Amino acid sequence: MPSRTIKNQWSALKRLRESLRAQLLAWVVLTLVGAICFNLYDSFRTADAASKLVTDRTLLASARVIAEAVRVDSGGTVEVDVPPAALEMFDTGYGDQVFYQVITAWGNLVAGFPDLPLPTVERVGQDKSFRSASVRTLALNHPVVGLPDDGIISVTVAVTHNSQFALRRRLWLSDFTKQLVLVLLAGIVTIIGLQRGLAPVLRLRDAVRARGRDRLDPLSPSMVQTELRPLVLALNDHMERVQNQMAAQRRFVSNAAHQLRTPLALISTQASVAAREESPERRDEALQALRNSTRQISRLASQLLTLSRAEPGSRRPRRDVIDLAKAAEEVLGAQAEEALRRGIDIGLEEAGPVKVAGDGTMLREMLVNLVDNAIRYTPVGGKVTVSVTCHDGKALLTVEDSGPGIHPMEREHVFERFYRVMGTEEEGSGLGLAIVREVVEGAGGAVYLSDAAGGGLLVTVRLPILETLLGQEMSRLST
Amino acid sequence: MKILIVEDNRELADWLGKALRQAQYAVDIAFDGEDAELMLKVASYSVVILDLSLPKIDGMTLLRRIRQKGEKVPIIILTANASLDGRVAGLDSGADDYLAKPFEIAELEARIRAVVRRGQDRAAPEIVIGDLVFAGSTRQFFVGGEPLALTPREHAVLEFLAMKAGTTVSKATLSESVFGFDDEADPTAIEIYVHRLRKKLEGSSAQIATLRGLGYLLRDAK
Repeated sequence: MPSRTIKNQWSALKRLRESLRAQLLAWVVLTLVGAICFNLYDSFRTADAASKLVTDRTLLASARVIAEAVRVDSGGTVEVDVPPAALEMFDTGYGDQVFYQVITAWGNLVAGFPDLPLPTVERVGQDKSFRSASVRTLALNHPVVGLPDDGIISVTVAVTHNSQFALRRRLWLSDFTKQLVLVLLAGIVTIIGLQRGLAPVLRLRDAVRARGRDRLDPLSPSMVQTELRPLVLALNDHMERVQNQMAAQRRFVSNAAHQLRTPLALISTQASVAAREESPERRDEALQALRNSTRQISRLASQLLTLSRAEPGSRRPRRDVIDLAKAAEEVLGAQAEEALRRGIDIGLEEAGPVKVAGDGTMLREMLVNLVDNAIRYTPVGGKVTVSVTCHDGKALLTVEDSGPGIHPMEREHVFERFYRVMGTEEEGSGLGLAIVREVVEGAGGAVYLSDAAGGGLLVTVRLPILETLLGQEMSRLST
Repeated sequence: MKILIVEDNRELADWLGKALRQAQYAVDIAFDGEDAELMLKVASYSVVILDLSLPKIDGMTLLRRIRQKGEKVPIIILTANASLDGRVAGLDSGADDYLAKPFEIAELEARIRAVVRRGQDRAAPEIVIGDLVFAGSTRQFFVGGEPLALTPREHAVLEFLAMKAGTTVSKATLSESVFGFDDEADPTAIEIYVHRLRKKLEGSSAQIATLRGLGYLLRDAK
């Protein structure tokens, strides 16, 4: 399929573009190619200048020889007998043609080609076109003894380019070859250096790749260059954090499994008792208890789930807007029957909506746990009061009960997972307050325990109120 | 036979007690290590079922203390920690058996029977006194192959006597191992149960002899 090939090519290109080796190599090769081009041009110019200089010197020498041969006879006629040496000095084996012209200052042609183009400046070689050939010409003004006034003759010599170009080529080639060898050498050394320099990085890659899934022990920073050590240290740091998190997770899972064993043993025992019991009333009693235990264990399971969801990073942070007062009303409504069954007076004190931002499900779960705890630990005929207010720009939720309270020494521990206050007779998983803390802190709030006025427990939850959040946002926008 | 359950989860302890009482054991329950130690001091038990995570005195410490006193009572550890290390440490500290939660009551009962049998240095699960047979696996009594119908208390008394067959059992020991703390134990009650048992054993060659000042003895009269 062509589209796939294109895609493959594209991805290969992308991979190449993302490869460190390819990038470094590309930069080095680009630089080298640039250097080669510049050298090519520069050495050509040097060779060209040198060959021109040599040709011009020869032209000048030739013109001088011709000029030296100019004579004025007794009749005042200017003559020249061009010596063969003047032309032979151009015979370098490249078949160059030589032209010359000798004229007097007043314009009389003495010898040579009358139509030879004359250079504009004396003693400076110039490229001209002569009889459809390109030639190098040079003029020399020379005084001649025996001529009146301005006794000057002008000698112009022109030569085709063969010899000059051959010289230029030879000069250029030898120069260029030397440079080329140098550049190639530099390139090879660079590639070797690149390989050697990158080797530790590749070793690091292989070391990381070759590790087992569960191997998280730190890598040695000395396996790479100093510049890369922070990377290895960061990697080690990251791995350590992952390791800690994994350990915490493992502890939690094993703890959870541990916590499930006793209720499961209870269920199994109750089922055995029910199965063996012959008296119908006692069998019913056992079955009732079995149902209760099943309910408890499902609650434990759902609390474990809630807790794992409330953990940072386990759920996408949500910013629902919930009315704490309304949520409290709903939760109390749902628990009212249980409270009435126990003869507990439950009540809600609120003064209008209190909007907070956070994960709605989790915040409700927090309320359920707080109210459930309060009802659970309050003796028959007791009182549970939930209040939702705004105070000092914070949402303030309090749950007050007339239960036994929690001893100050225990208050910090009760937020730990699976912690159960010693001698507690009420059934419970030890997860409720752990969930509360996890949720409240996740929503940017704080939770405190204190003594209630009536001697029970007072749980205070402070959460940032939505209005203040909005206010902060507004002030940030306006500044 | 009387069993002590030491378990801090009250519900589990209560229901275990119910299950074992159904199986005609007398049961006492302790919710923490201290209570358990106290109860072991004042009463004698045929088996102790011990949870390891206990308030006040933890199970492992309690286990070591019991063994240091030279108590030979069979102890079955019952715990949520089913790791190999836990099992090894428990058995090495003097436990006779180890059962991880969750477990089946049937297995717990089988293990109780096994540790009791071993404690009596008895390989066969059956005890035979004349034509009276006690089947260890079902803990039922048979006379001449016919099952003997007994009330739970009668069963408990006869079982204890059968376990100690051939030796005298004092009235106090019998009373102590048949009644739990919560039962209304009355020394004269034992006499009533023994009286009833004698009636039920009338056609059997086994009989319960009374030795004045010593107690009772279950023996083959022929």
